Amino acid sequence: MTSSELMKVEFEAPSPILSKSSSSIHNAANSVSQSALSFYVDRKAADSEVNGNYQSMESDKNHLEERMRDTLHLLPNGLLPQENQAKLHQAKPHSVHFTDQNNIAKICDHVSPSLLERSLSYSAVEQTNSSELLHVTDQTTVNQTNPDQSDSMIQDDGLVEEGVDVAMATDIEYCVNGGENVEGVGMDVVSMETNKTDKLDPKSLQLNLHHVGKNVHISTCDSKSAKERSQMLKKTKVPPPRQSWLLRLFESKLFDMSIAISYLFNSKEPGVQSYLGNRLFSFRDEEIDLYLPQIVNMYIQMHDVAEAIHPYIVHRCRYSIEFSIHTAWLLGAYSADVLKPTWKNSQGIKLKNLILNEELSPTYPKHIQSVEVTAPTSPTGSKKTHIRSRSDATGIYLKHSESQPALLNAINVMGDLTTGRAFDNGCTCHTSSEAMFNNLTGRETLCSCEAPRLMPELEFVKSLMSIGIRLQLLPTKELRTSRLIAELAMLNLNLPARVWLPISDKGIHHIVRIPHTQAVVLNSKEKAPYLLYVEVLECENAASSQVPSKILENTLRFTRSEEDLSGHYCNRGNGSPRGEFSVYGNSTDFDDADCWSQEDDEIIQFALKCRPSDTISQMSTESSTSADSKEPVYIAAGDIRRRLSENITAPKGKFERDPDDPSAAALKEPWEEKVRRIRESSPYGHMPNWRLMSVIVKCGDDLRQELLVYQVLKQLQSIWRQEHVPLWIFPYKIIVTSNNSGMIEPVLNAISLHQIKKHSKMTLRDYFIHEFGPPTSEEFLTAQRNFVQSCAGYCLVCYLMQVKDRHNGNILLDANGHIIHIDFGFILSNSPGKNLGFENSAFKLTHEFAEVMDGLGSDMFEYFKILMLQGLVASRKHMDKILPLVEIMQTGSQLPCFSKGVSTIRSLKERFHLNLTEEQLQLLVDNMVESSLHSLTTKLYDGFQYYTNGIL
Amino acid sequence: MSNEASGGIKEKTHVILLRKGSNSRMALKEKIVQIYEAFFQGEDPSRGNANFWDELFLLKVNTQFIEAEIEKLSGEGLLNLKENFNLLFYKAVESLNQENPIRIINALQTLCALIRGIFRKSTGNYGFDIINLLIGFDAADSVMQNLVESINHFLTGDFPCSLKQFSLKFLLVLITATDNISQNTMLEYIMNNSVFESLILNLGNQLFRLQLGHDAVLVLTMLVQYRKYESANPYIVKLSILDDELALTGYAQVVSLLLSDFNRDYQTQTNEQQSGWFSSLANMVGNMFVPEEKKIESVKANDLILLSLYEAIHLNRNFITALTHSHTPSTATTPPSSPVLSKPPALDLQVTENGNGDESTATQPTNLLVTFLEYSSIVMQDTKDTVRHNNAKLCLIILTCIAEDQYANSLMHDVNMTFRVPLHRMPMRHRKVKVEKYLTSRPLVASLLDLMVEFTMSHMMKLFPMELYLRSLGIIHRVLCYQKKCRVRLQYPWKELWTALINLLKFVMSHETALIKKHDIFILSSKVVNVFNLFVTYGDTFLPNPNSYDELYYEIIRMHQVFDNLYSMALRYTTTEGEYKDSAARLTNNLVNVRAIINHFTPKVDSWSAANNLSSLTEDQVLEVVRSNYDTLTLKLQDNLDQFERYSEKPKETPFFTQLVRSINCDVKKSVSNLSAQHHDMLMELSHVS
Repeated sequence: MTSSELMKVEFEAPSPILSKSSSSIHNAANSVSQSALSFYVDRKAADSEVNGNYQSMESDKNHLEERMRDTLHLLPNGLLPQENQAKLHQAKPHSVHFTDQNNIAKICDHVSPSLLERSLSYSAVEQTNSSELLHVTDQTTVNQTNPDQSDSMIQDDGLVEEGVDVAMATDIEYCVNGGENVEGVGMDVVSMETNKTDKLDPKSLQLNLHHVGKNVHISTCDSKSAKERSQMLKKTKVPPPRQSWLLRLFESKLFDMSIAISYLFNSKEPGVQSYLGNRLFSFRDEEIDLYLPQIVNMYIQMHDVAEAIHPYIVHRCRYSIEFSIHTAWLLGAYSADVLKPTWKNSQGIKLKNLILNEELSPTYPKHIQSVEVTAPTSPTGSKKTHIRSRSDATGIYLKHSESQPALLNAINVMGDLTTGRAFDNGCTCHTSSEAMFNNLTGRETLCSCEAPRLMPELEFVKSLMSIGIRLQLLPTKELRTSRLIAELAMLNLNLPARVWLPISDKGIHHIVRIPHTQAVVLNSKEKAPYLLYVEVLECENAASSQVPSKILENTLRFTRSEEDLSGHYCNRGNGSPRGEFSVYGNSTDFDDADCWSQEDDEIIQFALKCRPSDTISQMSTESSTSADSKEPVYIAAGDIRRRLSENITAPKGKFERDPDDPSAAALKEPWEEKVRRIRESSPYGHMPNWRLMSVIVKCGDDLRQELLVYQVLKQLQSIWRQEHVPLWIFPYKIIVTSNNSGMIEPVLNAISLHQIKKHSKMTLRDYFIHEFGPPTSEEFLTAQRNFVQSCAGYCLVCYLMQVKDRHNGNILLDANGHIIHIDFGFILSNSPGKNLGFENSAFKLTHEFAEVMDGLGSDMFEYFKILMLQGLVASRKHMDKILPLVEIMQTGSQLPCFSKGVSTIRSLKERFHLNLTEEQLQLLVDNMVESSLHSLTTKLYDGFQYYTNGIL
Repeated sequence: MSNEASGGIKEKTHVILLRKGSNSRMALKEKIVQIYEAFFQGEDPSRGNANFWDELFLLKVNTQFIEAEIEKLSGEGLLNLKENFNLLFYKAVESLNQENPIRIINALQTLCALIRGIFRKSTGNYGFDIINLLIGFDAADSVMQNLVESINHFLTGDFPCSLKQFSLKFLLVLITATDNISQNTMLEYIMNNSVFESLILNLGNQLFRLQLGHDAVLVLTMLVQYRKYESANPYIVKLSILDDELALTGYAQVVSLLLSDFNRDYQTQTNEQQSGWFSSLANMVGNMFVPEEKKIESVKANDLILLSLYEAIHLNRNFITALTHSHTPSTATTPPSSPVLSKPPALDLQVTENGNGDESTATQPTNLLVTFLEYSSIVMQDTKDTVRHNNAKLCLIILTCIAEDQYANSLMHDVNMTFRVPLHRMPMRHRKVKVEKYLTSRPLVASLLDLMVEFTMSHMMKLFPMELYLRSLGIIHRVLCYQKKCRVRLQYPWKELWTALINLLKFVMSHETALIKKHDIFILSSKVVNVFNLFVTYGDTFLPNPNSYDELYYEIIRMHQVFDNLYSMALRYTTTEGEYKDSAARLTNNLVNVRAIINHFTPKVDSWSAANNLSSLTEDQVLEVVRSNYDTLTLKLQDNLDQFERYSEKPKETPFFTQLVRSINCDVKKSVSNLSAQHHDMLMELSHVS
C-alpha cells in the first residue's frame, strides 16, 4: 500500500490536509516489502553507499519540465475532443480507477485521441471487483488538471509526504542487510539509458540500483515500439520537485517485465499494483506473453493483483484469439489447485468462463476504419498462388458449407469430426464478397458476425487431446500407432480450417492437412504422447485471412494440363531418366509419376489419343518377340546384384522402422528430408507459403512443471547470451492446455541416447565417430564442441533446478552433437522413488560423456568445466530474473516440485552460492563434476532404469 | 353434389363387384378400391369433386389392386385408359408438393404401382409407348421435372428419414422397371433432371448415411449403368469428378459395412463349423453342408455392392483416398446430435474376428481395402459355380484397378500404414488351415500379394479358372511394376510367390493335354515367366536385400526341371503349325534369361559338388556357388517387362458387365417389389410425427 502512496506524494505538492493521516503511513511503511524498497534509494543513501557503482543519468530536469508544460497545453484542450470527453463521462465512476493520478505517470509526446479513447474504453469494460477501489468521480477523470480535485482525491487516499522518509529509512536498513549480497556479487554498474521523455536533473537521479546484481537491460523496447502503449498513460501534472525512486525506476529504461512482474508479486500496495497493471499496456505483447503463466497464477492466487491486471488481460483477450485461448488454458490449469473456490480466489475461474463463453468479443471503435485505410495495401496478398487442383475439367467445387445448409446447422457440428466441419464456426464474414475484395486489396476483414471466435481452435486442440485419451486405452504400441493414424485421418476430413498450432511462435498460419501416416506414438508406458506433423499455409493473420480451400490428396493425377504433358513426354523419351542406368535404352519408360497418372483416367484419356498409340498399347509379352529385330541389350547379373547390395549397405542416416519403437525411425530422419518428402506428397506442397510443423501432444501429464522449466531455461539462455557465455541449451516450447494435458515442441533432428544405443549398438563416442567422422575431422570437432557446450549448459540447469530422473531416455542428442535434456517431471523438491534421493549427484555426467569430450583431463574436459563456471557466475549475477519466475509459480501451487514449500525457493537461491568467491565457485564446480563422474547412484539409477523400463 | 357423385360410383361398383364373384369381396371394404375401379372403368371420379385428389391421397394405397387391374387389361384397354392414367400420374406428382407426409407417401406409392404395372405390360410388346401411356407426351417433360424436383426436395430438405428412404425406394422402382436398364426410357428424365447432388449430400451426412446410404449407393450405381457404353451418362461424369471427401468416405463406408457384414457371417459360420469339428463327426458333416448354401446366397447379394465399389474405384480418381481411409469403431468425438440414430452396431462387431473379448482387436482400425481383401479371400475360395466365379472375377477386376493406381499403390506400400488383414484360406487335403491367431500388422500390399499367392496355390484344379489366373498374375505384375518404378523395397517373403508360380507352371504342364483344348496356356506361362524376368533383371530396384536375389537364383536352379520342360513344351508347339504357335514362340523368347541362369549355374553347382565330394548340397552351399559366379553371367534385357495393358472396361469387359447389371437389376427389382409392409410402418411413424 505504501509505495503507491509514496508515488502519489511525488506527484502532488505537499498539502496540509495530508499530514492528518501521517501516523497511518508510519504503520504502513513498516509493511512495505523489502524488495520493493530496495529500489528506494535515497540520494543521500546512494551517496554514502555508492562506490562508483552508479552512473548519473545524463538528463536535464529543465527538459523534462518543458516537456511537461507542452503536454499540459496539449492534453485537456487539444487532445481530448468533445467526443472523448463524453466517453469519459459515460464510464462508471468506480470503474475508471486506472485513470487516477497514480497511473498517469507518463508523458506522451503524441497522445493521439483515438488511443486515449481506447484506453478509456478498457476501463469502461472493467466493471467487476472494483467497488472497493478508489472512487474517482467523472470530474476528476476528465479535469485532471484541476488541483482541487486532485487534492480531494489525495485526501481519499490519505497520503502523506512523510511516507517517503519512512520508506527511505527502511530502505537504507535493507541495504545494510543485503550487504553480503552486495559484496558477493559485486555491485553492478547500472547504466541507465535515458529516455527522451524523462530527462531529469542529474543530481536528483544519482540512482544506485543494487537490487542484487540487477543488470539493466538495454531495453529492446525502444521508444518507437513502446509508443503506442505508453501513449495511453498520461500525465496531468507537473512532477513535484521530489520524485520517488520507485517511480523513476518504473519509468526508466531499466524497467522490464522481469521487474514489473516481481513488483506485482511483492508489492502489497494497490497503487503500485494498479500502476503496474496499467504499465503492462506499455510492454510489447511478446514480452508479456513470456510471463503469462506468472501473470495468470497471480491472477488466480492474489485477488488484489487480479484487480490490477484484469483490464490488461481483458483488453488482450478482446483483440487476440490466441491470447484468449492461452489465458483460458492457463487459468484452467492453475485454477485446478484451488480446492475451495471462495470469493477471494474464484476470479480465475470466472475469467476463464468469461473468455470461454466468448463474452470478450472485440469492440472495434469507428476509427479502426481510418487505421485500415492507411495500412499499406500490398497487392501481393497471401493468395497469389496458382491453384492447380481445381482444374477446368471439374469446374464444380462443392464446398461443405455451401452444400449442407439444410441438413445441418453450424452449432450442432462443432467438434463432430464426422461432419467435416468440426472446426467451422459458421462465420461467413471471410467468404463474403466484401472479404474477397479486402483480400485482393490486402485489407483485413474483421469478423462481424456472432460466430464463436475461439471455438475452432479450442475444438481442434480438444480433438487432439481426445485422441490421446483414446490411445491410452490401447495396450500395444502397434495398436496405438494404427489407431492414431486412423484418428488423424478422420481429423483430416475437417481440414483446412481456421486453426493453428498453438506451439508455433506466432499463430499466423492455417492448418491445411495432417500427414497422418507420419504421426508416431512416443515411448511411454501408460500415457500415450504422440508426435504429429502438420502442414500449414502461412497467412497474414490467422484470425482474418481466408482459410485455404480444400485440395484432395490424389492431386498428382490431374496436375498437368494437356500441353504440359506432351512437352513433358517428349523430353522423357529422349534420354534415360537416370544416368547410371544406360541399359534402359530408349525404350519408352513411363517413369514419371505425372505422365503415368494421366493414362488411366477415362475422362481425359482422349487427350492422349493424339499420340501414336503403339507406345502404350503394346503389351510386354508381345514386344519381347519384336525386340529381336532391335539390337539386344545385355546386362551382367553381377551388376544387378552389386547395385542391390550397394543400395542396401549405403548409409542412409536412418534407422529401420521398428514397430515397437516407431518414433526412433521417425525422429532419426533428418528434418529437411522429412519436410521435402512430405511436401512432395502433399496436395498443398506446391504453395510457396507451405510449411511443415510438428508437435507432441501429451495427454494425462501435467506440463506445468515443464512450462516452468521452459521459462527458466529461456531466461538462462538469454542471460548466457547476454553475458557471452557460449553455453548451449534448447528451451523447447510448452503449451499447457489443462492441468493434465498440453503440447510440447519437439526437438528437431534429435533422438534419445537410449534409442541411439539400442539401434546403433555403439558407445556414444563411437556413435559420434560414426555420425560425424574421425575424431580429427572438422565435423567431429564441431560436434564435440557442441556437445561440450550443451552438456555444460544442461549440467548447470540440472544442478540449479535439481532436475532428476536423468536416464538416457530423457537425454536427446541432435544432429549437431548437442545434447538436450527433456522431461522435467522431477525438479526442485521432488525426485523419483518417493524423494529417496536415488540420484544424489549434482547432475548426470557419466564417463561416457567424458569420453566424448576426449576423456578426463583433456582440453575439452577442462573447457567444459570452465564453461560451467562461467555459466554459474553469469546465472548468479542475474539470479533475480530467475527466482521470481519460480517463486510466483510456487504461490498456491500443489505441484510436486514445490512439495517442500517455501524452502524450495530458499534452496534454489542457495544453489546460486551468493556468498562464494569465484575461486570458491570454481572449486565447487570441480567438486560437483568429480562427484558426478564417480557417482555410484547415477550408475545405479541407469541400471535401475534398464531393469525396470529397458532403457539402456 | 359431391355426395351424390360418390354415391353414384358406389352404386356402380357394387353392381360390378357383385357380378364378378365373391372372391373380390375383400376389396369391397376399401373405399379406395372403389375409386380405383372407377378409374379402370374409364371414368373420372374427380369430376365435380374439388377435394377429390386431396382426399384420395390420404387413403391408404392398394398397390396390388392397381397392378392386378393393369395386368388384366388388354393392349387396347390400356390405351383407352390413357387419359385416366395420365390424370392419376399427374395428380400424384402434383400432390408431392403438399405438406402432409402421408399424402406424399401415398402419392409415391401410387406412382410405384402405376410404373410397375404399366412397365410389366410393356414386356408383352403391345406396341405402345410407356411414357405416353403413363404421363402423356405433351406433359411428360414438365411432369417428370416436377417429380424429380420433388424427390430432390425430399432428399435434401428437412423431412422425416422414412420419407427420404421411400423416395429412394421409388427411384429404385423406377430404375428397375425394365429388365434391361438401358431400355428404360423413363430414365432419360432422371438423366436430364439430376438427383446426383441429393444422393451425394445424403452420403456425406453421417446421420442420414446410416439409414439411406445403402439405397443411395444403390440408386447411384444403377443410374451409372444406364446406357453406359452408348451415350454420355451425366451420372458417370459426375461420379468421376466427385471430390467431396465426406461423400466419398460415406460411400466407402456404406460399401465397407455391407462387405464386413458378409465377412462376419462367414466368420460365424466357420466358427460354428470348427467347434463342430471337435465335438463330433456327424456334427462336422452336417455343418459342412449347411453353411455352404448360406454362403452362396450371401455372395450373390453382394454382387451389387461389389459393383458399387467397382464403379467408384473405376470412375472416381479420388475414391482411392476413401478406400484407404482408415476408420475406427468409434470415430466421432461427440455423440451424434440426434439421439435416435446411434452408431451402426455392425461397425463395432466387424473387427472382432479374433474375438474372445480381446480388447486389442476390437479397436483395431480397419479400412475398406482391408475389408475388401478379406471379402475377396472368402469369395475366391470357391469359384466352381458361375455366380461365385463372377463374383471372384469382379473382385479381381477391382483389385486390378487398385493395383494400377499410383496413389493406391503408394498408400498400400506405406510402411506407416499397417493393418492386420484376416485372409481366409480354404482347407485343402494337403494342408491344414492355419488359424493365425496373431496376425502381424503389415502394409496392405503384403496382404494383397498373400491373397494372390493363396489364389495361385488353391486353384490348380481340373476346372482351371484361366481368366482368374491371368487377372491375378496381372495384379502381381502391376504391383511389381510400381515397386520397380518407385524403388520401393517391400519386406516381403518373395520366396512364397516364386514357389507358387513355379507350382503353377508345374500344374499347367502336367495337365497340358486337358488345358490346351480350352486355353492358351502359353500366354499364362509367359506371364509367369515375365514376373520372374522382372525379378531377375530389375531385382536391384525393389528386392529388400541381396540375399533375396540369391534366393531367387537358388529357386530357379532348384526347380530348373520345370523351366526346362516348359521350354521344350513351347518348342514343341513352335515347330508345328497351330493356333498357339506364336504365343509358344513368345514363351521361348521370354524364357531366355531363366534358361541362361540355369545353364550358367547348374554346371557350376555340379562341379562344386564333385569337387567337394558331396552328393547333395545344402541351400547355403548352393547359395555360395551362386554368389561366387554372378560375374560371368550375362542377361538379356527384355523390352517392356514393366509395361502392362491398362485395364479398360470397354470393349473387353462389356458383356460381363452387361450380364452382371441385368442380374443385379432383377435382384433389386425383387427387393423393391413389395413396399407395402414398409409403407405401413412408415405411415405409422408419420402419424406419430404429425
